[in-house]
Amino acid sequence: MTLLRAEAVTLGYGRRPVVHDVTLDITEGGVGLIGESGSGKTTLARAFLGLLTPISGNIWYGDQILKNADLRAFRKDVQPVFQAESLDPRMRVGRSVAEALPRNARHRVAELLEQVGLDPTLAARRPHELSGGQRQRVVIARALAVGPRLLILDEPTSALDVTVQARILDLLTGLDTERLLITHNLAVVERLCRTSYVLFAGRVVESGPTGDLLAKPAHPYTRALRDAVPKLGGPPPEARGRTEAVPAATGCAYRLRCPLAAPVCEQPPPLRELDGRHVACHRAQDVPVS
Amino acid sequence: MIEVRDLKVRYAGRTVADVPELDVGAGECVAIVGESGSGKSTTLLALLGLTEGAEVSGRVRVCGVDVLEAPPRELRRIRGARAALVLQSPQAALSPATRLGVLMRRALRLHGRDDGEPAMALAMEAVLLDPAILRRYPHEVSGGQAQRFAIALAIALGAEVILADEPTSALDVTVQAEVVGVLRRLRVERDLALLLVSHDLALVSTIADRVLVMKDGAVVESGPAARVLAEPAHPYTRELLEALP
Repeated sequence: MTLLRAEAVTLGYGRRPVVHDVTLDITEGGVGLIGESGSGKTTLARAFLGLLTPISGNIWYGDQILKNADLRAFRKDVQPVFQAESLDPRMRVGRSVAEALPRNARHRVAELLEQVGLDPTLAARRPHELSGGQRQRVVIARALAVGPRLLILDEPTSALDVTVQARILDLLTGLDTERLLITHNLAVVERLCRTSYVLFAGRVVESGPTGDLLAKPAHPYTRALRDAVPKLGGPPPEARGRTEAVPAATGCAYRLRCPLAAPVCEQPPPLRELDGRHVACHRAQDVPVS
Repeated sequence: MIEVRDLKVRYAGRTVADVPELDVGAGECVAIVGESGSGKSTTLLALLGLTEGAEVSGRVRVCGVDVLEAPPRELRRIRGARAALVLQSPQAALSPATRLGVLMRRALRLHGRDDGEPAMALAMEAVLLDPAILRRYPHEVSGGQAQRFAIALAIALGAEVILADEPTSALDVTVQAEVVGVLRRLRVERDLALLLVSHDLALVSTIADRVLVMKDGAVVESGPAARVLAEPAHPYTRELLEALP
């Protein structure tokens, strides 16, 4: 049984839904949530953390519905890692980590800092006295303090320099926890997640093994994302479709941006199975591979 | 268009940027790469004489003007008009209570241009923006639209040089591709000199002719982009390349 599962969840703020009918299992080997700003990635993460109750559908924690579950146990099992700016600027980082530990285990601060590759003497510093990479390590140490089984990582490296990012990614790969990674960086997903879900306008448009998704995207949006990523020494990144068009309110939400849009796209595409993945596109067979 | 020799920028006696040589000709794209604190943004700002409180020495010529010697009046004439600065978050630099069209008109007037409307229409077309956007306030447009507006502003004012500091790092990849496409096209069509500051080596490798790698204020390696990024000679360049995920 998976630790966390979203079952047909629709999420929103007030009455406005921003995530529609998403079913997602956090399986072994890491799960990536990919999509652009406003696609609903962070909203979904908030629901997985129990910070947002679904308008419809359920978040399952093991065999219980999350809103009925024992939240103390849940918080021990599932921990968030946000960008490093989530540390209290007035608090020494050692105390920030200690707060997450039971009173009789506070001596473990040094051990946790060492686990994330930090010198324990840094515990006496405040966040502004550390570099961006060091701060992000503190945030990870704090999340690890309760011995979680799953980390929910929201853009954990997007504010960091590339060499610092590489070291944080090494650290995350070496941890003995499951992970749900939210990012717009496809290269990071490829490294950390065996399975990925691509979100557009709050809907899953494609999901499956990360390698397959990026090698042979079946949805035009996944392809647009992949082709927009610059590759070292490669051709200039290519913009496919118009990024300005707002998501369509009816039919396929991507159709106003899609270079393959056809009259059939005015009907909502069902999420169907195709070559070992799920894709919501009427024209998936016509998406060129290269 | 840009010619730099022995540029040194010091704050309180500490050298934060030391660039022995940097040339960008018309139609060329040169990129400065490096990590936070490497001095790349300082170098860019020094080219427009915008490093207030710093001790700057060397020789800096931009659009034929000696930036370190020129009187403020002359500097104002190139800043924004002939040499435009495009920043990471244009929305932060645009007045939130002013419609984009008013802003562009005001900038044109300030630089003594009386061909407002036609120049605006052409500039918006050059960056593929719907002119209807000119009626909106900065918070009513997306990050990609705001960035293209910043480029349109430069085009409307007749920029010959664009100095861009991480122009796409706050944007989604699909939007980044669009903005990069606009810059590449303008460079060819208008013979623009483009100096790009970026931490994204992959992006740089796809558009820059030459690269300067900076670390702790110093240029550690420079040369044609294809050579520097394919056969890096300096250990730091190698480290940057190996760190790419």
